[in-house]
Order: sequence, then structure tokens, then C-alpha cells
Amino acid sequence: MTAKKKRSSLVTGLAGGPYEVWAVLFILVPLGFVAYYAFTDNDFRFTTANIVRFFTDTSTGGDGSAVRTYLVISWRSIKLAVISTVVCLVLGYPLAYIISRASAKAQKTMMTLIMIPMWMNFLIRTYAWMTILQDTGILNNLLAGLGLGRVHIIGTETAVIIGMVYDYLPYMILPLYSIMAKMDHRLIEAARDLGCAPAGVLRRVILPLSMPGVVNGVTMVLIPSISTFYISQKLGDGMFFLLGDAIEGQYVANNLHFAAAIAFILMVALLAAMAVMRYFTEKHTYGGL
Amino acid sequence: MKRASKIFTALMFVFLFAPLVILLIFSFNEARSLSVFSGFSLKWYQELFRDTETLKAVRNTLVLAVCAAGASTVMGTAAAVGIYRMRSRYLRSALDMVTNIPMINPDIITGISMMLMFVFASRLMGLANSLSFLTLLIAHITFCLPYVILQVLPRLRQMDKALPEAAMDLGCTPWGAFWKVELPEIMPAIVTGMIMAFTLSLDDFVISYFTTGTGFQTLPIRIYNMTKKTVTPDMYALATIIFFVILALLLLSNLTDSEDSQRLRAARRAKRAAAGRPPMDPKKRRILYGCGGGLALVALAAAVVFTVTETDNKPQVLNVYNWGEYISDGSEGSMDVIKEFAAWYEQEYGRPVQVNYETFASNEDMYAKLSKNAISYDVIIPSDYMIARMIQEDMLLPLDFDNIPNYQYIDEDFRGLYYDPDNLYSVPYAYGIVGIIYNANVVDEADAGDWDLMWNEKYAGQVLQFNNSRDAFGTAMYRAGIDVNTTDRSQWDLALQSLLEQRQSGVVRSYVMDEVYNMMESGEGAIAAYYAGDYFTMLDAQADTVDLRFYYPERTNFYIDAMCIPSCCQNKEVAEIFINYMLSKQPAIANAEYTWYASPNRLVYEDPDYVDEMGEEAMAILYPDWGDFSEKYNAYAYRNLDNDLLDYINSLWETLKIN
Amino acid sequence: MDKIIELKNITKSFDGEVVLDNISLDIYDNEFITLLGPSGCGKTTTLRLIGGFETPDSGDVLFMGERINDVPPHKRNVNTVFQRYALFPHLNVFENVAFPLRERKVPREEIQQRVEEMLAMVALKGFEHRSVTSLSGGQQQRVAIARALVGKPRVLLLDEPLAALDLKLRKDMQQELKNIQKATGITFVFVTHDQEEALSMSDTIVVMSEGRIQQIGTSQDVYNEPKNAFVADFIGESNIVDGVMLADRSVSFSGHTFPCVDGGFGPNEPVDVVVRPEDVDIVPEEKGMLRGVVTSVTFMGVHYEVIVDIGGFKWMIQTTDFVDVDEHIGLVIEPDAIHIMKKSEYSGLYGDYASFSNEFDELSDAESEGEE
Repeated sequence: MTAKKKRSSLVTGLAGGPYEVWAVLFILVPLGFVAYYAFTDNDFRFTTANIVRFFTDTSTGGDGSAVRTYLVISWRSIKLAVISTVVCLVLGYPLAYIISRASAKAQKTMMTLIMIPMWMNFLIRTYAWMTILQDTGILNNLLAGLGLGRVHIIGTETAVIIGMVYDYLPYMILPLYSIMAKMDHRLIEAARDLGCAPAGVLRRVILPLSMPGVVNGVTMVLIPSISTFYISQKLGDGMFFLLGDAIEGQYVANNLHFAAAIAFILMVALLAAMAVMRYFTEKHTYGGL
Repeated sequence: MKRASKIFTALMFVFLFAPLVILLIFSFNEARSLSVFSGFSLKWYQELFRDTETLKAVRNTLVLAVCAAGASTVMGTAAAVGIYRMRSRYLRSALDMVTNIPMINPDIITGISMMLMFVFASRLMGLANSLSFLTLLIAHITFCLPYVILQVLPRLRQMDKALPEAAMDLGCTPWGAFWKVELPEIMPAIVTGMIMAFTLSLDDFVISYFTTGTGFQTLPIRIYNMTKKTVTPDMYALATIIFFVILALLLLSNLTDSEDSQRLRAARRAKRAAAGRPPMDPKKRRILYGCGGGLALVALAAAVVFTVTETDNKPQVLNVYNWGEYISDGSEGSMDVIKEFAAWYEQEYGRPVQVNYETFASNEDMYAKLSKNAISYDVIIPSDYMIARMIQEDMLLPLDFDNIPNYQYIDEDFRGLYYDPDNLYSVPYAYGIVGIIYNANVVDEADAGDWDLMWNEKYAGQVLQFNNSRDAFGTAMYRAGIDVNTTDRSQWDLALQSLLEQRQSGVVRSYVMDEVYNMMESGEGAIAAYYAGDYFTMLDAQADTVDLRFYYPERTNFYIDAMCIPSCCQNKEVAEIFINYMLSKQPAIANAEYTWYASPNRLVYEDPDYVDEMGEEAMAILYPDWGDFSEKYNAYAYRNLDNDLLDYINSLWETLKIN
Repeated sequence: MDKIIELKNITKSFDGEVVLDNISLDIYDNEFITLLGPSGCGKTTTLRLIGGFETPDSGDVLFMGERINDVPPHKRNVNTVFQRYALFPHLNVFENVAFPLRERKVPREEIQQRVEEMLAMVALKGFEHRSVTSLSGGQQQRVAIARALVGKPRVLLLDEPLAALDLKLRKDMQQELKNIQKATGITFVFVTHDQEEALSMSDTIVVMSEGRIQQIGTSQDVYNEPKNAFVADFIGESNIVDGVMLADRSVSFSGHTFPCVDGGFGPNEPVDVVVRPEDVDIVPEEKGMLRGVVTSVTFMGVHYEVIVDIGGFKWMIQTTDFVDVDEHIGLVIEPDAIHIMKKSEYSGLYGDYASFSNEFDELSDAESEGEE
């Protein structure tokens, strides 16, 4: 190796070095601790009991039959998270597209407006939604005032989904927008020129090109919504118990090892899901990011 | 199409801003309710600016966000450059993957994993408490880093590779080329990354919750801990102010960035040229920018130093850990007990004292942190059963009652109770009895009187049940006459059956904690079991259509919260002085009036002004004449249960929740 | 003339692939030297070695007799005009040009004066405060040249600087670059894959292929006296046929013996024979030294391009006379139009127009532009 090469790799090392150390110390090592706690008992002896417990704990379901407690909790968490993510995508995608096609000034203004709610504390935002959604709340008073009758939303899955969509929608819009804003408008014109109907342009040009943004957006919404506990407590009226609640509950009950086991399983499942998703989207889009 | 998209966009923005409008409106509400608007008032804004604890939390949050954003931006940018230049593909993709981990890991896992590590590391290093501002900062930097890197890296990859080469070709050193050419090129991405990091840090609750230590509570944590009396409206005032500050900042930045200002800059340049002066030397501009940046950094450093010195370097420090909203804090003209204590102490002992007053959301929350030596406090105020547990686990220090002469005012009834039979460890602070609150406009008086009201199918969808296992099971057990401390699991199963029946018959509207206030005040719920003192808080804010009443069922829960000194205490002397101060007349009355809970202190309940202030009805309810308090208390109060049973109850609770 | 740069036995490979294979080259002061070759021939790498962006695996780079292998780019008195200009987008035209002067801490007044001079030279006066991104390709090019020259380097390296310009602009810039080089007296090392550009501008042309130098010489040298089939084919059009040197000044190919002007080969040595298409005269069939059938005729403006099949080998002939497809014609070649080359590894690879078409040529041109 020549002196110059050594020097340049030294510069590279200096730049990336602190981060590499940091990443190992504060990203990888803590995850190791989760695994360590998940596979040990209170006296730190190796055990798989915590993991086994997650899959086998049973309780009596509504119809008297035995159900697997944590699998039921997981299923509900996944269901709500997936629905929220899909709703975010359905609402966020057209909005991101509309914004990306607006004038430069309007784009900036609208993106700022979308960011603003993120600066309010999310606990308080969620509190505000309670006020809007409850039976005697603003939405129902509005509906009643219009003679449309009242709806019971608070305490239902719908309320939890609304809360999640509200809190995480910006995380969907941001990556979508940043991809779409960079998209070459001439591609769309070219597609139209080649005889594509607007729907076809969307399906065959815009959608494939914006796929990396979709993947990022879905990731950024799915992850927090699968593990939330505050939103489900407040907007779900405490009627639901999600994975986040389970982890938090075990932590508060000082059952750290089982809490770590739930966290570990969730983590592994999410990593696997993301790997699969990225594998498929990278295969079917152009070069990923 | 055009029109449809306009309508859609408008609707989306209505959706995004609706809650903010609500906050804005209710920040001007006269009452403390977030459901019932009773008149325009600016009092919550006054409250906010008087509320030193909240302002401190705001400052902490900002200091943290600035530090975290700054550090993660610098390190993240360096990391992006490092990854960009990395030759080994394997190393690069490995690092890419690691970078993604904090993003695809749920907050709660990141938080718990870091806490586990910090606790472990400090045990290795023999530190007294593992969590501190530093651990909080590390956690925030860690979860902000990927966002910075993922902004900067693509921008670097888009950059023309020849640019740095051109700079070197023209005489720059590699370092100079980075500074003068690459950095300006990636600057927009760095700024975006920094703003994202700042935003995320500002809004984070979960990770902070697990990693913060003594002396540094952030705003989200403070809000989360407001469980005793629900979120106060000065928080809405705060949100409103934040909203307008941000709006102003954004308008300002838009103004400086807009074409107008570019035109302005061009004009300025033209003027320079016309005056025969050459355009400004970039070196000069760099110096100017450098000065600006330097100033900002100095200000930041000063803020940090200020924070650190303020919390750590004063000679006398007292760390108090209490429930949220559980002390008279000066709001609405009340006495600011903490502030008054500091003033009194300085006058009395000739030394200043710095009181860090922090809050927790539940006994278990506090226990979880203290038991791991994660944090240290000098005075804590847990509930009875938790005191019993902590005594058993050697987590409390015996008190020196010579230093607490005011203990004499604690009534005999509150001494020698089961949790501290020899009166060694605790000084009662407040006590309460669970009763049933109902809306007389909905509930037939004839149905009231005992626990059955909470199971009455006539009021389906109107009953609010506790959202924590012990209290919820308690309601069923008192109703059925089961001992709430039984170790017989079949008895707990019976209680579960009763709760399941309550839920499946549709009687239960919600499982609530502090939400009970809003729901009862607005008429969302008609029946709830809660503490006597809280009934009066609700009464104050009830809507016109609601008429709240209260009664005690025959068997019910008694609880006592008492002041204790944990074994991690650093300053026992001042802690005891503080406890003694809390028992003296003025603060004790102020606290009792503020919290509406009953006081075990004779100086309080025998004070004519206090009795007058409370009113006859309140006195009758708060201090019922039931003869021997300790007998009833020892029979019905919760006791500490062993871990296995708690685990069992927890799984029963989960069963209830998944059905 | 003084040698300003010497490359000595330089070898360079990337990821195990040899890009430069033991090349040696002297560059003299004040000359306009062009590195010419198809994409991947190593010409850009050679330039980057001189610029200091690469270090040789073995061999030496000398600048005025001093070894500079490990001298970083910013310490070399050599500047580069990059292929896509590499103008700094965050600086305006003035600041881009002033950049190297500020690096050297030149006094402010002098910067002002020298930048103005440079901008005047490249005809960009009045553009000082324009953003570089708002300029046209040609204007950006001029800024890049001004920026590279303002520091008065001894050598200017130009990496395909005209590739992104359209034809007309390219012609103008070629002339302008040549003028600038004359005016400043700075050595220009110019990289291109366009042989016409090379021929019209250079004092010296270095033809490269597959990491090796094939020939160094003046424009006339490489055109008239190509060293091997590769050079003959790459520079201009050539008919390259197998021949046998019967004796000095007598060569036999295509079944006929021709008088020629070359000598010095062994008796009956097989050789490559090059005949430029414009050097072949068309005569009536019976008067021809060679006879063939016309297979295609293309009108090119000043001449016709005629492909003639002679015994299965396709010749290209450029002529102003009109012939028709399928016509039988005779060909006459003068002795001084015949150039004899020694056999090389490139023999037999080039020079047959059997699959020739103009479009192919353009396609491959476009490709090579895209790659480099």
C-alpha cells in the first residue's frame, strides 16, 4: 500500500470511526442485552422458558375455549398496525403526489404544515383526539348538529386506528414526497406520449418509481404502530391490549426477562419482515434507493 | 380532477390540524376540563409561566433536543462521509444494516435495551446510579443518528465525484476540499437531517422514559406522569405557544429563503459592485458564518453548563420523587411548597438548597427504576403496599424521628399500620378511600349504595373500570367479599370471572386511569370507582348536564401514601428536614387543599380555616367517622403480594383485556 | 524542448484488471498532446496519474525531472478541466474562477484582476455573478477552462472536455482551445476518443489501446504511417489487407504485385497493407490493377463512399466519380498510397468493410461517450 492510500483510508477511518464505535456500543450491544435477558431467568441462568411462554401461555377466550394469550395480542397488534399503515399509505400517497406537483413555494408551505403537528407533544395530541372522538365530543356534537346522528368511536378499534394514522401520517408522507419530488416529470409525459392512460401511468410509471419511498414510509409507520401503548390506552379506552402494552406491563410488573423475551420476538419478527419486504421491492424496482 | 385533489388536500389538512385547534381553544378555557368550555380565560397561560417545574421540563427538553440534534448531526455527517468513502463492500453493507436497526426497532425495544445496558455497565463500573442526563443524551443521539445518515448519504452519492477532485486539483488539501466543496454541497441534507433529529428528540417519550435519570425530566415524561389528576390545561397553553413560535420561525425562514430575499441579496451585491467594492470574499463570509455558528455553540454550551451546574454543583441538593400532580405547586393562587421550602431552608440554615422535584406515574414505575439502582432520590412518596415491599427488600432507610418533630401531629390512627408496624420507615402524607362516583342525571338513586352498581346492566356502556389490575380486581373482590390479599389463586380466578362478566355484558364503557376526570365531567361515563378526593376535583369542572354524586360501598379500598427515604439517598439530613417541613401547618394544609385527599395530620383536619374551606360535605366524605380507622384499614388495604402471584394476576389481567 | 512530464514504465490495475500496462511517455513543454483511444484504453487513467488522483502500482511519474508519485493533487502545478466541468454549484462564476487563487491566499486586488482577465479571455465578461448552474454547456466549459488556467499551471489536463457539446460548438471550442494554448504557452494534455478532434488540434498524438501506447507521433505521422492495424483503423478509414513483401519496394496482395515505397522487410515476409480509401482511383474494369463489383454507394456530400467486393474482401473507396451498384470496376493504387506495416496482434481484426455501416460507427461512438 502506498503512502497516499494509507492517508486516505486514515481520513475515512477518522470520519466513520466514532460512528462505528458508537453503533457497536449503543446499537448492537443493547440488542445483545435484550437477547441475553430474553434467554435467562431471574438468576441469569440460561432458559428458553420466556420464549416458550410467549407461544404457549393460554387463557380462556370469550367462548370458553382456550386461546394463546400472546398470540392473540400479537394478532390484534399486527392487525391494527397493518390497517393503520394501509390507511396512511392510501391517504399519504395521493397527498404526497399532489404536493410534489405543486409550485415550489406551495410545496414548501405544505410540507411545513405537515411537519408542524410533529412538534406538538404526541401525548397532548392524543389527548386532544380523545376530546374530539368521545361520545359527547366535538365530532359527535357536530354530527348531531347536522342532524346526522351520533357515532360511538372512542374505545373502538377505529379510534385507535385514527390515533395511529394521525400520529404517523407525516412519517408516511415525508419519504414518499422526497422520492416524488425528485421524480422526473418528463417520464410521466413520456408515458402519456406512449399511449398510457392516467391510471396506467400511475400503475406502470409512478408507482414503480416511488416504490423505495413506499417501502420507507411503510416501515416508518408500521414499526411505531405495532409497538404503541399510549395511543391504545387513551383512544382505545383501555379496552385493548397490544404488544406495546404487554411489554410495558411486564416491565412495570418487574418481569424484565419476559418483557425482554416479548421484545426479542417482536424484534426478530420485524427484522425478518423488513428483510422480506426489501428483498421483494428491490427485486421489482429499479435499483432500490 | 384538479378540484377533487384540492378538496382532498384541504380535508387532509383539516384532519392534521383539528387536534391543534382543539388545544388552542381549550387553552383559553376557564375550567380545567378538556371537554367542557366554560368561559374565556387567560389563566392557564399565567399558570404556565408560574409553573417552574413545567418550565424546567421545557428547558430540559430543548437543551436535550439541541444537544442530541447537534451531536447526531456532526457524528452522522462524519459517518455518512466515512461510509461513502469506505472501500470494502461488506463492511459498508454491514454498517448500512446496523444503521437501519434503530429505525426498524420499535422505540420501546430501543428504550428497554439501552436501559438494560446502562444498568449493567454502571454496575460494572460501580456507579451509584446508572441513568443520568448523559444516558438520556446517548439514547437520543443513537436514535437520531440514522435519520441524519440517511439524509446525508444519498446526497453524497448524488454529488459529482469530480467536485472534491477539482478542488484538490485547484490547490485544496483533501480536508480543505471537504470543507469548502463537499460540505456546502451536502449542506441542505445536513440541515434537513438536523431538523429531523431535533423534531424526533423533542417528541420522544418512550425512549426518554426508560433512559432518563435523576434531575432531568423532559416535558413528555412530565405529562405522562400527570396521572393523579390528569393533564392540566397549562399544557394546552404550552402547546399553543409552541405552535405559534414554530409558525413564526417558519415564516421567518421562509422569508429569508424566498426569492424576495434572493433579489434583496442580488441588489446588495449590485450596490457593492456599483460602489466599486469587490464582492464579499468567501473567507470573510466564512468568518461571519463562523462567528454566527460559534455564538450559537457558545450559547448552547452555556445552557448546558448552566443546567449542569444548577442541578449538580450546588452544595445542598434534594431529590424528591413523587406522583405527578401530587403537591401544591402554586397554581391557581395556591402555595408553591417546593419553592417555599427552598426559601425557608435557606433562611433557617443559611445555605441554599436545590430541590429537584420529579414525578412518577405509578408505584410500580417508581419501583422498577429504584430497584435497578437506575436513579437515586432522597425522598419518595410511594403507597403502603409498595412501602412494605421496599422495607422487605431493604430499599428504605429507617428515619431519625428526632429530626422530624412534627411527626407528633400524625394521628394515632395512622401509626403502627401493617406496612410499617414499628413506625420506622415512613411518615404518612395523604390517604384516601375508594368510593363510587355517579351521575345522578343518569343513575337511579335506588340503584346506588354498593358495588353492584358497577355491574348493573341497566347502565351498560356507562361504567368506568380501573385500568390497572390490582384496583380492578379489587372492585370485584370487595363486591364478592373476597380478601383482596388472598394467596388462593382460585379466589383470583373468581374475581376474573366477575370482571369478564362485567366486560362481556357490555357494562364497562372504558378502562381508565386519569381519563376518568374528563369522562365523568363531560358525562361520557356515568359510574366510576375512584378516590374520594378526586370526586371533588371532578365536581369543580362538571358540565351543566352532569350531576355527580358519591358514596362509599361497605367494603372498600383504603390507601395511604407516605414519605420515605430510599437507601440510595445522598442527603438524609436535608431529606428529614424536608419531611418535617411537609408536616408543618402551612404546607400540609396547602397540599391537602390542592390534592383534595385526606390528611393524617391533625394540624390540617383540625384547622378551622381548612374545615371551612373544604365545606361540610367534603369533610364528611374525606374524613368519614368510621370509628377505628386502623382496624378497617388493616382489613381492606392492599398488601404486597409475592412475584409469582403478581405474575399470575398480570396474566389474568391480560386474559380480561384480550376478550 | 524540455521534457516537462515523464511517465516511466507505469502499470496500474483496478480490482485485478490491468488498465495501464507498462507505459512510458514523455511530454514536452509547450506542446498540445492528445491521448487518443477508445473507451477503456487507459487514457483517462493516464491523465489522472498526471493529475495526482491515482498512484501507479509500479513505475514513476516525473515532473520536471522530479519524482512526484506521492505528491497529492493540490501540491502539483497541474490543473484539470473535468469531463463534466465539476464547477462548484454553491459558488458563482467569479468565485469558481477565484477558487484556486483564494487557496493560495493571493491578495484580493490581484484576484479581482486576474479573474477578470481570465473571464475576458474566455469571453465571459459580465457573467461574474451568475450562478454556474444557470449557464449553458458551452459557458460552463469556459468557466472550467478559466478556473483551471487562472492559477497559471505548467500543464493543463483536459478530460474529454468537449464531449458534452454539440457538433458546431465543439468545432468552435476546438479552435478556441488551440488559440488559448498558443496564447498562454501552457502544455495541454488532452484526452479524447474523437480522432478528428485529435488530428485537428494536436502537436503530438498518443494512440492508446488496451492499456498500451500503440503509437506516438504528429497528426501526419499517425495518419500516414500507422504502426499497426489498430492505429490504421482507429485513425481515419483504412482498407487493411494481408500481403507479402516480395522484396524492398515490391509487395503482393489481392493476387497482384504492386510497386511501393517501403522497404526493410525480410524476403517474403507477411505484412499488413494499408490503403486509404481516398487514395484509390476508379478506372474502367479492364484498366484496373484490381477488379471488383460495387456493392453499395453512399453520397457523403463532398464524395461518394463506395464499397467494392474484390475477391470476397470488401474495400472502401472514396471518390467524386459516380459509379453504380453492381457495376464492375477496376482500381488503381499509386506506389506512395501503399503503406506497409509489420504483422501485429491486431492483424486481421480490422480493415474489412464487410459489415460496415455509418450507423454502426455512430452507435459505437455514442457508447464510448457514455462510458467514460
